[in-house]
Amino acid sequence: MISDLQQLEESALAELETAKTEDQFLVVRTKYIGRKGLLTGLLRNIAQVPDAEKPLFGKLCNELKNLLNTKIEEALQRQAIRKKEDVLLKEKIDVTLPGSVIKCGRIHPVIQVRREICAIFASFGFSVVEGPEIELDYYNFEALNIPKDHPARDMQDTFYIEDNIVLRTHTSPVQVRIMEKIQPPLRILSPGKVYRRDSDVSHTPMFNQIEGLLVDKGVSFGDLKGILTAFLKNIFGEGTTLRFRPSFFPFTEPSAEVDIRCVMCGGRGCRVCGQSGWLEILGSGMVDPAVFQNVNYDSEEYSGFAFGLGLERIAMLKYGISDIRLFFENDIRFLKQF
Amino acid sequence: MLVSLKWLKDYVDIELTAEELAHELTMAGLEVDEIKAIRPQFSGVVVAKILAVKPHPSADRLSLCNVSDGKENYPVVCGAKNIAAGDIVPLAKVGAVIPGGYIIKSSVLRGEKSDGMLCSEAELEVGDDASGIMLLPSDLPLGMPLETALNIGDTVFNVGVTPNRSDCLSMIGIAREVAAITAKKMKQSSVKVKESSEDINSLTSVKIIDADACPRYTARMIKNVQIGESPIWMKTRLEAAGLRAINNIVDVTNFVMLEMGQPLHAFDFRFLEEGRIFVRKSKENEEFISLDGKSRTLPANTLLICDGVKPVAIGGIMGGLNSEVKEDTQVVFLESAYFNPTSIRRSARKLAMPTDAAYRFERGIDPEGVVKALNRAAQLIADLSGGSICKNYIDEYPENISTVQDIPLRLDRIRQVIGMKIGAKDVVRILRSIGMVLKQDGKGRYLVTPPTCRVDILREIDLIEEVIRLYSYDRVPVTLPAIAVTEMAIIPRLDLEEKIRQLLIGSGYTEIVNYSFGIPVAADHLCLPENDERRHLVRIKNPLGEDLSAMRTTMIYGLLETAKKNANNGSFDLSIFEIGRIFLSRKAGELPEEKNILAGLLTGKMTDDLWGSRKTIDFYTMKGCLENIFFDLKFNNCRYNSTVVEPFLHPGKSCGIYLDDRQIGFLGEVHPDVLEKIGLKYNAYVFEINLDILVSAYIGRSITYQEISKYPAVMRDAAFVIPDTMEADKMLNIILGQKEDLLENVSIFDVYTGKEISEGTKSLGLRLSYRAPDRTLTDLEINTVHDRIVQNTVNLTGAKIRGE
Repeated sequence: MISDLQQLEESALAELETAKTEDQFLVVRTKYIGRKGLLTGLLRNIAQVPDAEKPLFGKLCNELKNLLNTKIEEALQRQAIRKKEDVLLKEKIDVTLPGSVIKCGRIHPVIQVRREICAIFASFGFSVVEGPEIELDYYNFEALNIPKDHPARDMQDTFYIEDNIVLRTHTSPVQVRIMEKIQPPLRILSPGKVYRRDSDVSHTPMFNQIEGLLVDKGVSFGDLKGILTAFLKNIFGEGTTLRFRPSFFPFTEPSAEVDIRCVMCGGRGCRVCGQSGWLEILGSGMVDPAVFQNVNYDSEEYSGFAFGLGLERIAMLKYGISDIRLFFENDIRFLKQF
Repeated sequence: MLVSLKWLKDYVDIELTAEELAHELTMAGLEVDEIKAIRPQFSGVVVAKILAVKPHPSADRLSLCNVSDGKENYPVVCGAKNIAAGDIVPLAKVGAVIPGGYIIKSSVLRGEKSDGMLCSEAELEVGDDASGIMLLPSDLPLGMPLETALNIGDTVFNVGVTPNRSDCLSMIGIAREVAAITAKKMKQSSVKVKESSEDINSLTSVKIIDADACPRYTARMIKNVQIGESPIWMKTRLEAAGLRAINNIVDVTNFVMLEMGQPLHAFDFRFLEEGRIFVRKSKENEEFISLDGKSRTLPANTLLICDGVKPVAIGGIMGGLNSEVKEDTQVVFLESAYFNPTSIRRSARKLAMPTDAAYRFERGIDPEGVVKALNRAAQLIADLSGGSICKNYIDEYPENISTVQDIPLRLDRIRQVIGMKIGAKDVVRILRSIGMVLKQDGKGRYLVTPPTCRVDILREIDLIEEVIRLYSYDRVPVTLPAIAVTEMAIIPRLDLEEKIRQLLIGSGYTEIVNYSFGIPVAADHLCLPENDERRHLVRIKNPLGEDLSAMRTTMIYGLLETAKKNANNGSFDLSIFEIGRIFLSRKAGELPEEKNILAGLLTGKMTDDLWGSRKTIDFYTMKGCLENIFFDLKFNNCRYNSTVVEPFLHPGKSCGIYLDDRQIGFLGEVHPDVLEKIGLKYNAYVFEINLDILVSAYIGRSITYQEISKYPAVMRDAAFVIPDTMEADKMLNIILGQKEDLLENVSIFDVYTGKEISEGTKSLGLRLSYRAPDRTLTDLEINTVHDRIVQNTVNLTGAKIRGE
């Protein structure tokens, strides 16, 4: 009888091995351990087994029954899982089709640059300030040491509203308005639109500027170099080479123009940098004592520096744009790129 | 300013290459924008001597020349008549290239061999004379390349001279800088004037009436001049500087202006009536014809140079046609004066005559250079025209021209400004290199007198700038300011703008930036009524064009124009917004009012919905976006009121936007008439919001946590049939206004007109949500409250319950 049992085990396991579908496993179960199954039959005939073998026979029968039960259960479970997965797989979609959402709009590239620059100077402790875009001649020129009938007025071709009222030609008047109200120390940044009577590939009658001003005791030209170097490396990369060269602005002295190595050609000379290898990025200088005098700051006690830069120019260099007018044409195909 | 390298070398030795010099100048504050090489337009042309000339045997007009370049003799057939044996001429040898790219070949002309070509000035483009072969000085070595002989070929720098550096508006001025930068000495040259015995004072006189505008006027007279062309060396110089040669007198005045920075003027003395000069300001509306042939009406107070009877020049700006040097001029009256910079600038601007002379005078010339230039020019005129200079010169100098002396300079102050110590020795060396005179004034202190040409140096800081400029900005160490931590002020509106910007781009809107000025008829196109404040235009007096002549009073017009431009480019789907200012004029003399505005436009379809099926937009698309923004910004007191209608919006599809009772803007579909006027084909929706008002409500808002109920909410629906014209908002207000404690919220789930609903009415389906904070509500409780609300609403509005 025990040999029968062994034979049964072998054939049952063999059948399980070949079974694939749920039905086939169920057939095996019925055939061997069902109510009328072969193993059940053997067990039922235990009476015919010699007494001495009975315990062993019973034990072996039960073990085999448990084994088959477990194997079949496991197989059925596997089958059930696979079946579910088959259902899910039939629901397969094309994941390469685009998602359905209202696509985000874009922030104007010049505003993006403004944000970036303001963030850098915020980390240096500069606060943003504002002033009117239509200004008194006094704030736009005279308080900044640009008297009427002075050739320095030629540097900025001006739109006039009245003899005494202009569209501001730079955001520098804001520094005067702030200094009139607040005593040093001062660290301010004034971004905004400015207007000059000029229009070609590199000039638009309106553009955006940021001006910064720092006033405190003991501020030096070296500090000006330090802050502007840190700023330019931040925005154009740590490896940026820059140079400071003498220039003239009526409201600063000494004045410095700051150039960076041309980002297009790396200094070899190209169309963008006019073959010079350098790009003018910003104007700067130590605040002229005459300006301090106009706002009643004592220039023996306080010193400071100011700087200004055009945002469109930075954006043009960053994004490789060659015509400044594109910024104000607002062609959606242009704006969507930033 | 155009600066010739060769010319510079007349005054200072330069060992640097052109590129190196350009770099040095740039780093000293004289920015070189461009370096241009001037090359001769020919090659292979040499100095040669005509050994013999004989007639061509078979051509009357030609002659046969035997020409030597010092080594070989060449037969050359020539058509010119002005040559003779012994003349030194330019020979273009076989293989030479002459202007126009012509290559000289060996040829046979009417049976005679010709190995080269003798050239005229015009053929070589070294002058205008085409009448005959160019005759060269007899002392030139034969065989020398002509470009060497004529000193052609140069490098020209375009130098950007900043408005403060009037001293650098001349070759000598630039040369002084070069000498200082390269530690070289200027080559000294002094002018010796050879005078005749006739005294100028016996021939003419000068009287200055308005000394404030003309503090100094000097003059010389040169008699018996022969007007002619200037020599090539001078023409070359003038051309390199961008000026055209005219004649040997005018060219000298230009040459000396370029050389020394002092503008000069030469009059033909025979046209100076009464033979004398008056300097006075003009009266109102005097007429004058300037050298350029233009008749001008002079504004009052224009400085005039007059003879005994009439004006002969606009002082410091341009001479007059009536007294200019002509081909037969014999006596030249030469003027060298100092004019008041402000006076010149005002006149030059009013007259729109930014001449080279005015440019220099308005920036300030060297008051001590006036006579030097006068003498230099007089001698040059005499040299070039064969004239004789009268004895003495006139120097009317009624008003002292102030020059600055003894400016105190503290070494300590230099250190403070620059942030590093520069030794006394270096400071003294630098300042002396640019002609400053220093006197020690105690320890670490000096009194400094700048040269009179440096009219920009008035104060200690001006001296400090000179020191650091020539010491080199590069050598200043990079430091960071040590400053106290101060509180950063934040402008709330900018903070609000940033939040809105972020929300709008998340809603699919792209930011644009339009010009702040536009076309004045925008107000008409937008159908604004006469009394609308947006008709209070701020106008630009000198606009770039009519279409950019008025500051905008609304952002809507710019958005519509942007939509049109994009439609023209084939982009019909647009969601855009702009943040910027509008400008409303106030009283004359007052600054206009500036308002900060947010505005947006939606047209076409919302893009990128499901594939191919883009969502159509309507009023509610834009309103939803705004509601969402207000929700995020926690403005829960926003209202929309249809009784406020903008003239440029669809009267049935627009509304005012309110915060409580205060209007902050509007929203709606653009009126079809306006679309037509602007030329837009498709519906557009726009909004505008005043950020200055919005921000007042934005400041100081705080959030207080509301306990979340543990108990469920129960919904009850009710559909009210109400007149078409009744707004949903009113129904909601009536229901919420009943202030039932258990009523948590009301929302609209359906708006229906059509079958089953009688004409002129609509069905408004409302979902009322009930909840108690402390217990689960019973059906009985809910039904009682719900029925009461419905009944009250019916009573208050006359609405019917749908289906009843």
